[in-house]
Amino acid sequence: MNFASTQFVPSRRMGICEPLPQIGMWSDYKENNYLDTSTPAILEVDSRFDNQVQFVLFIICMHCLVFFGHMLINLCVIYVQSEDTSHGIVEPSNKYDQEVSKTNDKQLRRLAQNREAARKCRLRKKAYVQQLENSKLRLMQLEQELERARQQGLYVGGGLDTGQLGYSRTTNPGIATFEMAYGHWVEEQNKKTADLRNALCSDITDLELSSFVDDGMNHYFDLFLMKETAAKADVFYLMSGMWETSAEHFLSWIGGFRPSELLKVLEPHLGPLTEKQSLELSNLKQSCQQAEDALSQGLERLHQILSETVADGLLGEGNYLPQINAALEKLKAMVRFVGQADHLRKETLLQISRNLNNRQAAQGLLALGEYFQRLRVLSSFWTSRPRESS
Amino acid sequence: MQQALPYINLPFTTTSNGGATTTAVEVPKLVAENAVVIFARSGCCMCHVVKLLLHGHGVNPTIFDIDEQNEASVTGELSKIIGIGEAKAAGRPQFPAVFVGGKLFGGLEEVMAAHISGELVPMLRKARALWL
Repeated sequence: MNFASTQFVPSRRMGICEPLPQIGMWSDYKENNYLDTSTPAILEVDSRFDNQVQFVLFIICMHCLVFFGHMLINLCVIYVQSEDTSHGIVEPSNKYDQEVSKTNDKQLRRLAQNREAARKCRLRKKAYVQQLENSKLRLMQLEQELERARQQGLYVGGGLDTGQLGYSRTTNPGIATFEMAYGHWVEEQNKKTADLRNALCSDITDLELSSFVDDGMNHYFDLFLMKETAAKADVFYLMSGMWETSAEHFLSWIGGFRPSELLKVLEPHLGPLTEKQSLELSNLKQSCQQAEDALSQGLERLHQILSETVADGLLGEGNYLPQINAALEKLKAMVRFVGQADHLRKETLLQISRNLNNRQAAQGLLALGEYFQRLRVLSSFWTSRPRESS
Repeated sequence: MQQALPYINLPFTTTSNGGATTTAVEVPKLVAENAVVIFARSGCCMCHVVKLLLHGHGVNPTIFDIDEQNEASVTGELSKIIGIGEAKAAGRPQFPAVFVGGKLFGGLEEVMAAHISGELVPMLRKARALWL
């Protein structure tokens, strides 16, 4: 690098390497100023730079200054100008010595600051990388623990409020798909609930309201379809409630909400009902209860049969493969049970909408949406509550 | 296992505790002469659910147990009753299969839907399964 350059000539060099608009000012200034005549003294300054590294840092310093804007450049220009006028042009060499030493001090100060900043930056980076490495190790440990726990048949986690654990990713693609799709479904559901709330508050035509109602109902039906596919992939995943939040799972029945409970939640929020509507609702509540009881008892029977099938020929039968195979067949009925439960949910929603007008149905859907939202919030508060020390 | 139900009608009714099972030949007769007939595999839990639903309405359905021996022949008979076109479309009859008033009503889903919508009771009445 050519040392025959000062803080001004480098700017020209910078001009070649990095076209910065401010450079023009520097070079203009150089041409128009006393500094032009100072070339010999400036050469003198260069000789004080005995350290090439320092010079490079100095260049970088200058880059920074230029880069930080016109203001900064203007201020420097003004400063140097004022220095020029205040000292007068009496004895160039003397004045230049002072100037140069002052500038030198500034440069040294800037260099020192830069060094300090660079050192701090390096330390911070080191600390951050260290933290990342630790987190990575911890994550690997946790994943191993989880894998072990799963293999022992202990399901960990409670659906969305504890985050998406790696169960699906490591074992079942069908379930992974469902988990993702369900996450989107919940987001959509919250959006639709908010839209419905706004729509009911605003002046909306009955026709528009009916499209809201249809949309809301179809969204629930979409969920039942998703669950049907997931049940084929792993019905026990659905039954275990791992996809639901803890409060939802606590209140659930055969892999989802209990229809009769739903009707009880909805009823007070449908607004005034006609006598006919009240009667229909009461009949529906009863039919729902009967259907739920029938399905529950059917499921209990399945438990019984499964247990008997597995236990057939205990204590002595060396080969139990026939029993296992028989039990496998029985377990397939589980998929049908979850399907029937969802079918009941769908039929209940359809039936209640048949008996209500659009506004009532919309209010019902809104109440439903908010109810499930509250359950989800309850679950996340429960999960993050401060634990009492034992 | 299922309990033996006190059927009042036919000497042909099956009991699922391994009693005298009817042959497939009697299938058309069963369907024609009984208001409600359920065809289901032995020990099927879905059949249990249908039965409970119908009991809730005061209906005593006739239940035909299907086991491995008679499954093929029963399926054949049922397909004949349903009509070849429908049977072909469905592949084979889904079990449990519920017949009301001599005609195929459907499976558990259809019964459940009719139960919720309130259409089941009029239909049962029409088939003389109910007198109230």
